[in-house]
Amino acid sequence: MQTEASSREQILARIRRGLRTAVLEPAPAKSVGVIFEPISNSLERFQQECVANLMECTLTADSAASAQQLAMILQSLPAGGIFVQDDPSLRRLIEAAAPARAVRWSSEGAPEESSQATVTLAEALIAQTGSILVTAACGGRGASVIAPCHIVYAKVGQLVPDLATALGRLSQQKILDHNSFACVISGSSRTADIEKILVQGAHGPRRLALILQATA
Amino acid sequence: MSPTAAQLFLRNAAEKSADLMHREIIRRGMDSYDAAHLKGRARIKDWEAAREKCQEIKQEAITHLDRYLLQFEEKVTARGGHVFWAANSEEACAYVKNLALERGVKTAVKSKSMVTEEIHLGPVLEKAGIKVWETDFGEFIVQLREEGPYHIVTPCMHLKRDQIAALFREKLDPAVNSDDPAYLMTVARRILRQAFFSAEMGISGANFLVADAGAVAINTNEGNGRLCTSVPPIHVVVTGIEKVIPRLEDLAVLWPVLATSGTGQGITTYSTLVGGPRRTGEADGPQEFHVVLVDNGRSQLLADPEQREVLHCIRCGACLNICPVFRHIGGHTYGTTYPGPIGSVLTPHLAGINEFKHLSYASSLCGACSSVCPVKIDLHHHLLQNRRNATEAGATKPSERMIFKAWRRAMLHPWMYALGGWTMRKTLRLAYGLGLAGTALDPMRVWNRHRAPVPLPAQSFRARWRKGLNAN
Repeated sequence: MQTEASSREQILARIRRGLRTAVLEPAPAKSVGVIFEPISNSLERFQQECVANLMECTLTADSAASAQQLAMILQSLPAGGIFVQDDPSLRRLIEAAAPARAVRWSSEGAPEESSQATVTLAEALIAQTGSILVTAACGGRGASVIAPCHIVYAKVGQLVPDLATALGRLSQQKILDHNSFACVISGSSRTADIEKILVQGAHGPRRLALILQATA
Repeated sequence: MSPTAAQLFLRNAAEKSADLMHREIIRRGMDSYDAAHLKGRARIKDWEAAREKCQEIKQEAITHLDRYLLQFEEKVTARGGHVFWAANSEEACAYVKNLALERGVKTAVKSKSMVTEEIHLGPVLEKAGIKVWETDFGEFIVQLREEGPYHIVTPCMHLKRDQIAALFREKLDPAVNSDDPAYLMTVARRILRQAFFSAEMGISGANFLVADAGAVAINTNEGNGRLCTSVPPIHVVVTGIEKVIPRLEDLAVLWPVLATSGTGQGITTYSTLVGGPRRTGEADGPQEFHVVLVDNGRSQLLADPEQREVLHCIRCGACLNICPVFRHIGGHTYGTTYPGPIGSVLTPHLAGINEFKHLSYASSLCGACSSVCPVKIDLHHHLLQNRRNATEAGATKPSERMIFKAWRRAMLHPWMYALGGWTMRKTLRLAYGLGLAGTALDPMRVWNRHRAPVPLPAQSFRARWRKGLNAN
């Protein structure tokens, strides 16, 4: 621990000494332009970006339609248990969808490696990049990456226009003080490491399905 | 005597640039990057404004580096995380190694981190008896080949799929029967899944350290970075002190710009923020969270009045992709952790100007690197400054100094210059006439070794000038 303290002090001292050097580099021009096109229709933009991100986005009218959609997705998956974020709205949805599968709730711990799907809520949806913002409160960290299929249940009202708004909210509401983890997810996992050829489904989900409900 | 870094560089560069198969692989890879990059840039309304914003953010961070690092440390520590400041590679490796040994770690999973390559963490852990799995698909492949990453973003871009299939058959499973990239990914996924769920330690890098939120930002597409930071009971982040940024909102520009410059994506698939160990009530996550802040020569760069901005680099790889030298000689030829223009600028600072001054000349000074850099680092001018610094430090050969002295005199005395030109024309005409072009007796052999000699003019330029240039 002694070396730790002294290295820390040494590095800080070197940094401060270094910063006293007057630099000859020209000061950067103040950025004044509008960097991103302002978004007028968040839902439309979000749906476009989902297509580009290879994310399934199904718009549903109400919770009954959402449950039906969930049942349909679950029916298409191979046999095996699922993991669900323990939240009253998801308990109701699962009850209505009535999957013939073992359900493990996030209150029981981390998802099992063999889970066929995970079902979670989102913190927000970001139109600009077609992304889903999740935090540790959305069933934990593994809930969005362990299973081959991640199903997200969200409401249209959760849409924010852009990254700046989403990050601003994370910051103002100090969400990272109450969650050890947050992630902006933009599609299912992928790689292009071999000859730059896109492979959907790398270490995480092959499939990211969003059930986007119009009503609250 | 083993060859110097400069000798190795020249030898490998000559070999690689003559390897047509290698050039074809790289050309194809870069063509697809170019197309994606341009498409990605078109999605941003004002690319120049985005670059200026990123430059501004990084300059603000670096100018107050001490303050932002302390802010980051305070936040992380308050949440039960540990921050270790490592002055050099040895301290950083020793910290991770000792932590692993104390906790009885037998297996560690790693996501992509250039800083761990820089400090050679993998070999240190392996030597201590800890099995280290590289989990990024490309890194996994180069680890099996026992070589370093070829490129800072796409580590195995020098390999074709049939080479990778053969490698998998040899090292992993003789039953591998296809070279389809999706199939090969499935093979790697199956093996690495076992590693993720048996490892006691996950090691990651960081793309950014967010000071006001006290969070580490990690960008990955494959999800391996997510698993490394979610499943094992200990998460260790190894990163450079220059990665800090002031505010969470800065990522609203940095994330899209990094993704666009790196791969042409609008944003990386997983843009993750980790602020500490698992909190009470959370379903999962590591019980321990450590951040190793590596200096390793970076704080010295702060004191360089011309090159401090090199610390703004966000490691997107755009300067490698556009560099005509990189495209011909490839990543491994540089013999450094960081290849390409940024590596040629940075390596002399991190590893010594004397040993790596030759890299300043691995450039045509065309400026393409500076023109694509998303944080506007003036890379090619820094290469020039490194050349000057090496010369001023006396790191040049006596013969070179003599030639430049003679050149200087000739430039100041026209009659000497004319005499020199006349002598060269006569000598070369004689040498070429005797068929000596390219041989040891040819004064122009460095050029003529690989090229047809340039035809000699009948008269000097000055003679032609006097007659009017068209008279020749």
